[in-house]
Parts: sequence; structure tokens; C-alpha cells
Amino acid sequence: MSGRGDDIGTNLRDAARAGSGYPLAVVVVLGAAVALLPLRPFLEAPTLMLAFVPVIIVLARFFGIGVSALASVLAFFAIDFLYLQPYYRLAVGSFPEWLGLLAFLAVALVSGQQTALLRERERTAERRRAELALLNALTERIASAGSATEIAEFVVARAQSVLGATRAAVYVPGEGSEFPLRLANSGSTSLSAGEIAAAAWVIKHGLALSPGGSDGASGATPSPATEAVGAYIPLATADGVEGVLHIVVPDFEAQADRISPLLGAMANLVAASFQRQRLEESAARAEALREADRLKTTLVSSVSHELKTPLAAANARITGLLEEPTIEPERLHAELADVSRDLSRLNTSIAALLDLSRLESDAWRPRFELHELDEVLGTVVANLPSDQASRVKFALTDEVAYISCDFAQLARALANVVDNALYYSPPSSPVWVSSRLVGDRLRLTIEDGGPGVSDAEKERIFEKFYRGVASSQQPGGTGLGLAIAYEVVRTHGGSIGVEDAQPTGARFVISLPVAESTEEMS
Amino acid sequence: MRILVIDDEKQIRRALQSVLNVRHYDVQLAADGQEGLELATSLTPDLIILDLSLPDMSGMEVCRMLREWYHGPILVLSVLSGDEDKINALDYGADDYLTKPFSTGELLARIRALLRRMQGTDTSSPEMDVDDLHIDFGKREVTVRGELVRLTRTEFDILAVLARNVDRVVTSRMLLEAVWGPEYVSDSQTLRVHVSHLRKKIEMPGDIPRHIVTEPAVGFRLVSHNEAT
Repeated sequence: MSGRGDDIGTNLRDAARAGSGYPLAVVVVLGAAVALLPLRPFLEAPTLMLAFVPVIIVLARFFGIGVSALASVLAFFAIDFLYLQPYYRLAVGSFPEWLGLLAFLAVALVSGQQTALLRERERTAERRRAELALLNALTERIASAGSATEIAEFVVARAQSVLGATRAAVYVPGEGSEFPLRLANSGSTSLSAGEIAAAAWVIKHGLALSPGGSDGASGATPSPATEAVGAYIPLATADGVEGVLHIVVPDFEAQADRISPLLGAMANLVAASFQRQRLEESAARAEALREADRLKTTLVSSVSHELKTPLAAANARITGLLEEPTIEPERLHAELADVSRDLSRLNTSIAALLDLSRLESDAWRPRFELHELDEVLGTVVANLPSDQASRVKFALTDEVAYISCDFAQLARALANVVDNALYYSPPSSPVWVSSRLVGDRLRLTIEDGGPGVSDAEKERIFEKFYRGVASSQQPGGTGLGLAIAYEVVRTHGGSIGVEDAQPTGARFVISLPVAESTEEMS
Repeated sequence: MRILVIDDEKQIRRALQSVLNVRHYDVQLAADGQEGLELATSLTPDLIILDLSLPDMSGMEVCRMLREWYHGPILVLSVLSGDEDKINALDYGADDYLTKPFSTGELLARIRALLRRMQGTDTSSPEMDVDDLHIDFGKREVTVRGELVRLTRTEFDILAVLARNVDRVVTSRMLLEAVWGPEYVSDSQTLRVHVSHLRKKIEMPGDIPRHIVTEPAVGFRLVSHNEAT
């Protein structure tokens, strides 16, 4: 493919070189005529004429009809002048020689013209092939679902190799900005204000700007054509302009007939692919929004209970206390301790709800970075009250495994699971956290000595606002912690489940994909 | 000890006042940035508690202006979603932060740590102990539980910066600037890799990092556990 592409490039350069064919023809024909002068006594004029025909054909093959015609006429005069008596005069001695000479001229002209014609056809065919191949490759590239940037880079590269462009670039409309965004650019050319203005103009008006400034850009709308160098082709679809292809081809006007249709076809293909990608993106966004909406509805419907219960409890206790004329200090302290617990439950609920709503809304995009799980667990424990922190015991793998994670999110998820274990197991009993590398996944287990989770509950425990049977005997807990953990682990490409621990208790198992090992990182 | 509280929410001001008064701190209150700056100049408090969301000016701006002359500790209060503000405030010279809502216990612990640092810290001391870590700044040597560990230059520099700010959060930006220089402040992946190597050498194998704790999205903190309460 690239070989054929190069042919076209060569042909273009040939065309540019045709000018240098004329002096060459003069030198070759006159040179040969003069060089053969010492052999004149032994050379018959017809032999010489025959010898010139291939030379003229060769010139026609490489430089086209103009050069070969000049060579024919020059040869005609050279033979007449140097090889036909009387020498050094244009007159010709005999009538047959005249006829011969005229015949030579006719043969030379006709064969030159035929050769040039043949060459022209050949080249047109080659060019067509190359152009078709280019469009084919472009279609393939687009079909293989390359990104817009990849497609733009491909177009820029091929515009240079196939069309001989000295400069090419692809622009797309900037998001929320009147200035277009450059997706791909040839060479190291820096941004030029004129070029950006021209691209912006084309995006806005959907009209092409060409070197002559004649295309479309005439009439009422003033175009920035003064600054524009090269052609700006809108990547337009029926829905609007998806971008601009900027291309500078030397001698564009002379080749416009040939290049324009190809550029048009390329522009259409690229425009269609850009449009398709844009539509796919907005469809995905709409889907995400619908999903977020659905979750929000569920959330709102169940949230009031979570917030009202502790608030009502605290309020009841405090108003009760205010009505009592005298209270013993011990009872006051006990009541206040209960109020404090209610409020901290409310606080946890609100924090969890905020977490969850951010997690589920489109606004909170996880920021993935490479971290070790040990580090995340370190932060989790550092944020626990010290009496609780000392209950958590670790047995972590020595192997170094980096996980691609949003640190804060994953820390919150793990904190929820650890909190859950601390909460549902006897006070001061340990919670065991261990990790192990299993293939390309890191398996983390959090095990407690609590009552465990019944089989019926194992399914539902990660649902929003589901609180275990055990929790009905204990206040606190929001029914959101594990749902958040589930959601976060899922966004990290991991899984979370719960199984029975021996002899008693629950074992939460979290499996996360490992991104890299140390060796690759350092 | 005099503490200036700059917070626009009346309930928080009153709560902080009563909680801190009971612990015998002398508490002064300011409701916005302007008043806060004025009171800070006239009272020269021993510590300033600054809420980052103020009605008249940004907390970061207050922090920057305070730091032009005020050398005492500044503790900033932020909400969960205010990571950016928090990091900026720390980069502008705040000493630590608390995320609302916080417990009184947390608040008092932070205040104690900051005041202790202010009084007791001789930032030029040639040697230092943090739990089972012993750091000799002059010889550039570190021993863990009595054993000498070999640290690279960069690892030692990171540990030194954290140690000079023990119990205080150090932003990634501050660390990168102090160890690599101001032109490297955005290279946080490199920092994480070096911190990871440093942890391998000073933390217990099989356990979580106990000395150097990551503050999500902000930076790192070297923790001393033998806090006197």
C-alpha cells in the first residue's frame, strides 16, 4: 500500500519536473546530432532518423508530449541542417530526402504522442489504484474503531505520503470554546493564529476554504482567507460540521481536479466516523444518567428512615431531659451518651449517603493511581479510634503488588468492611485482615468472630439499606456501608463476597485485579 | 493558650468555644475572614482554627495572608468534598486539617499535637526519635528497632522532611519541592514509588504501614504513636 502511495508521490514530483525536460531534450537531441558529426561520411540520414525515434519515445515516456514534440522538431532541423546536403542550410537537395525527413517528423511526433498518452493512462490508473487503496485503508482504520485522534493522525500521515502535502492537520470543534481543538498535526509546526482562525471559520460556516479562495467562501460571509494558506475542507455530515481537514499541497490549483474528489471522499469518511463516535459517547452518557437517576430514586425513597430514626431518638431523649426538674448526674451522663451515639449514627448515615450519591453520580469520576493495598489499609486503620485500631490484626503478603485504584474511594470501601467486622463482633475481639496473591488478583480477607452471616442473608447483605438480623438487636450501622464497599470494589474491577469463618464469624473476601509489580515500576 | 476560631457558622463557633473553654483554652471567635485577620493581628493567638468556606473571602486567601507574618500553627477545617481547597491551604502554609464533621477527641488531639510541636520542636535538632525509628540528620543514618537500615539519598530526604513535620500532614507538592525541587512538583507517581520503597525498609513486614500513613489525595504523615494525652 505504501509502495503504491509512493508512486503517486513520485508522479506528482515528475509533473513538477516536466519543466526541466525541455532543456534536457534540447541537450540530448542537439548533443547527439553534434556528437555523431564525425561519423557523417558513414551515416545514412535514414539510419540517423531511425536512431532518433527511440530517443524521442524515451523522452515522451518520462516527460510527456510537450518535451517529445520539441525533441521531434529539433531532431528534424538538426538532421536537415547537419546531415542532409547541402550541409548547414535548411534547403534539402532532393525531393525523396524531403519526403523522408517529413515522414520522420510525422513518425516522431506520432510515436511521441502515443507514448505520452500511454504513460498518462498508466499513471492515471496507478493514481486511481493508490487513491482507492488510501480510501480502503481509511475505511478499514475507521471500521477497526480507532479513536478520533488515531484516525486524524492516519489522515495527516497519508495526506503527506500520498498527496504530497507539505502540511496537514485535523481540527475538531473545541468543547465549550470557539477555538477548535487540533487532533493531529504534521511535523512540528507550531500553532498559528491564522490557521486556527481559518479552521474556526470553516467549522462555523461549514464551507471550504481553498487556496484560490473561490470555493464557497465568497459572498456575504467575510472569510479569513487573507491568513489562510492551503485548503480547509469541512468534515461535514448532514447534522453539521464534525471538524476540519487542513491541507497544503504545492501547486494545488493545477491539481485541484484530481485531488479535490479524493479529499472530498476522505473528508466524508472521516466526518462519518467522527459523528458516529460522538453519537456513541452521548448515548453512553445518557445511559449513565438514566442509571444514576434510577439509583437516586431508590435512595431518596429509603433515605428518610435512615435520617429520621436517630434524629427522633435523640430529640426524644433531650426533650425528655428538659422536662425533668432534677436529674441525677449518672442518669444525665447515660442519657447524653445515648444521644451522642444517635448523633454519631446520623453523622455516619449522612457521610455514607454523600459518599453513595457521589459514587453513583456522573460527577465523581474515580482517579486511578497505582498503590499498594498495605498503604490503603494503613490509612484505614489510622482513621480508626485507637481502641478499635488495636483490634485489627494483619497478615499481609510479602509480595509486592500494585493496584490501580482511587485511593480515597478504596480506603472508604475497606473502612466500611472493617467497621462492619468490628461492629458485629464482640468488643475487644480481634478482626483478622490478610492478603494473598492469587494469579493476577489480590485476595483480601477480613474475618471476625461475630455471629456470622446466614445463607439467606449472604445474598442481600450488599444491598442498600439492608441491615442484618444481628443489627436489629444493636443500634447504629446505616445499612449503607457494605453497599458502598460493593459499589467501589465493582468500579475497581473487583469482586466482594462473604463466607462463613471457622468456628464462628463472617469472612469477607475481596478480590482485586493487580496492575503492576515493582520490577516494572522502578 | 489562646486559640482564634474563624468560622462563619454560629453553631460551630459556639460548640468549639464551649468544648475548648472547658479544657482551659482562651477562645476568641471571628465570623469571617476580615474579622479573623484583624483579630489575629491584635491578639496574636497561639493557634488558629480556620474554616475554609468563609462568606467574604476564601479560606486559602486568609491562610496565605496570615502566613505573611503569623508563625503559629493553623488548623484548617474543610468539608469532605473540599480536597482541592484543603491541599491548597496546606500548600499555602496551613499546618494540618480536619474534615467536618469531626469528633471532639480528634480536634483536641490535633490541637495538642500542633501546640506541642510549636513549643517543643527544635527543628534543627541533630537527632530524633519517632517510636522505634531513630533518625540522625547529621550522619544521615536511620535505625529501626536498633538496627541500621540503608536508605537511598532520596528515601532519607523524604523521611527527613516527614520527620521534621512529625504528626503533621505533608502534601505531595511540599515533599516533591523539598526533595526534588520546585520543577518536579507534579511528579507524584515517582514520589509514591520512593515512599513505597522507604516503607519496605522501615515498616514491619506483613503489617500495614504504621509510621508513614497516606492521607488520601493530600500527601503523607509520619505518625508518632506515643502521644502524651
